[in-house]
Amino acid sequence: MITTEVTFDELAALMKKAAGITVDPQELRQSAESPFDSFGLDSLGLLGIVGELENRYGRSLPPDSERCKTPQEFLDLVNSTLKAGA
Amino acid sequence: MSTQRSGRAAITGIGVVAPNGQRTDAYWKSVREGLSVLDRITREGCGHMPLQVAGEVQGFDPSALIEDRFLVQTDRFSHFAMAAAALALDDAGLGGGAPAEPFSVGVVTAAGSGGGEFGQRELQKLWGQGSKFVGPYQSIAWFYAASTGQISIRGGFKGPCGVVASDEAGGLDSLAHAARAVRRGTGTMLAGAAEAPLAPYSMVCQLGYPELSTVAEPDRAYRPFTSSACGFVPAEGGALLVVEDERKAVERGVPVRATLAGHAATFTSAARWADSREGLARAIRGALDEAGCAPEDIDVVFADAMGVPEADRAEAQAIGDALGGHGRRVPVTAPKTGIGRAYCAAPVLDTVAAVLAMEHGQVPPTPNVFDVCHDLDLVTERARPAELRTALVLSRGLMGSNAALVVRRGGESAR
Repeated sequence: MITTEVTFDELAALMKKAAGITVDPQELRQSAESPFDSFGLDSLGLLGIVGELENRYGRSLPPDSERCKTPQEFLDLVNSTLKAGA
Repeated sequence: MSTQRSGRAAITGIGVVAPNGQRTDAYWKSVREGLSVLDRITREGCGHMPLQVAGEVQGFDPSALIEDRFLVQTDRFSHFAMAAAALALDDAGLGGGAPAEPFSVGVVTAAGSGGGEFGQRELQKLWGQGSKFVGPYQSIAWFYAASTGQISIRGGFKGPCGVVASDEAGGLDSLAHAARAVRRGTGTMLAGAAEAPLAPYSMVCQLGYPELSTVAEPDRAYRPFTSSACGFVPAEGGALLVVEDERKAVERGVPVRATLAGHAATFTSAARWADSREGLARAIRGALDEAGCAPEDIDVVFADAMGVPEADRAEAQAIGDALGGHGRRVPVTAPKTGIGRAYCAAPVLDTVAAVLAMEHGQVPPTPNVFDVCHDLDLVTERARPAELRTALVLSRGLMGSNAALVVRRGGESAR
């Protein structure tokens, strides 16, 4: 399935793959404005997720993406970037 | 320091992940029995190398012991260290949950080779797939300091932390560092070392050492102090100790297993084994001085046992130089001939063996070694019962560091 929309489900899966963090996608969606570190994700973990997405979509994400503080902020930035390039 | 009644550095917890036992009791049983677990290396990608025999930690399952979020960002050497640290904390009655006083708990480890396996995997991604496929944790996982950092993060420890990069003898230096931190007022230190040098890249790095044994028969590959000495075999694994202020341990009501009584370190340059005679002898004298010990007070010596004739001779002479006539009478042992040399972790595992030997009143034997060709009373074949109050642990590194540690039995003799 080709999609240009990264979902909370996918973000949860990436948090597991890249940073070893188990988080329920439902909970991630509900707490989308909570800071990443409240889920246990540190800056290197987010950098790893950015790298995974860049490789998956074959394009660069803006430098600000690895500085996002919350899941909502991150998905908004990533998805607007992917849409703009689609 | 010896006359100082307060602030002595006590060992109250021991955690071991070794080729011959992945818990302290299993390790001691193997050491006491003189079991040799040296064998052909089975790790993937290592089969074609001239280094064929080592001490592997087989069946170690880090995912059963360590959370995924730590596993993804750490190498096997840190897995050993984190596992050993947790075991040591449990043993000291400090396991489980956040520390009551996080700023009074620190960590110091030594490392000789860092996270070579993790680094190799990421470098293979770099050259196989491209720079964008290198994970960000490459920046920290290979690093010598990784184990100290991860243990402190995982445990929530905020006291003074450190990393000793001083060659294999750094394992003893890490314990001395912890003892100093305790004397300066830090309540509790986790100290020791763990290594994972058995992976393709890490093994290639070792192939240039002339001291490395390339003998293919496991029972003949590492036989120090004999005329058939042909170098050493490497090992993986390690040990962490909980070192705390003796008064605090007494207040908490936990047994003082031993005290770190004296330590000294010297340096005599790489591969100059004859020079290590003086370096090691001076380290022994320095450790005895700090402990306030006479040579006759030493009840057992845990030898470095490099397995290189010139180095073995230098060590035997150093023991004689520093201990005089007592050096020919005191029981000497090298349990590491049954598991190999785990670089910085080797002298920490020996320190653990020394503590257990004192607790059990038995000098463990030196596996695979017979026909000693030096003027030493090397204990071979089976454990020797003995009243042991004070042990001397020796260590040398391939790059020229030498260290000696005096450990005293805990319990009544510690007071």
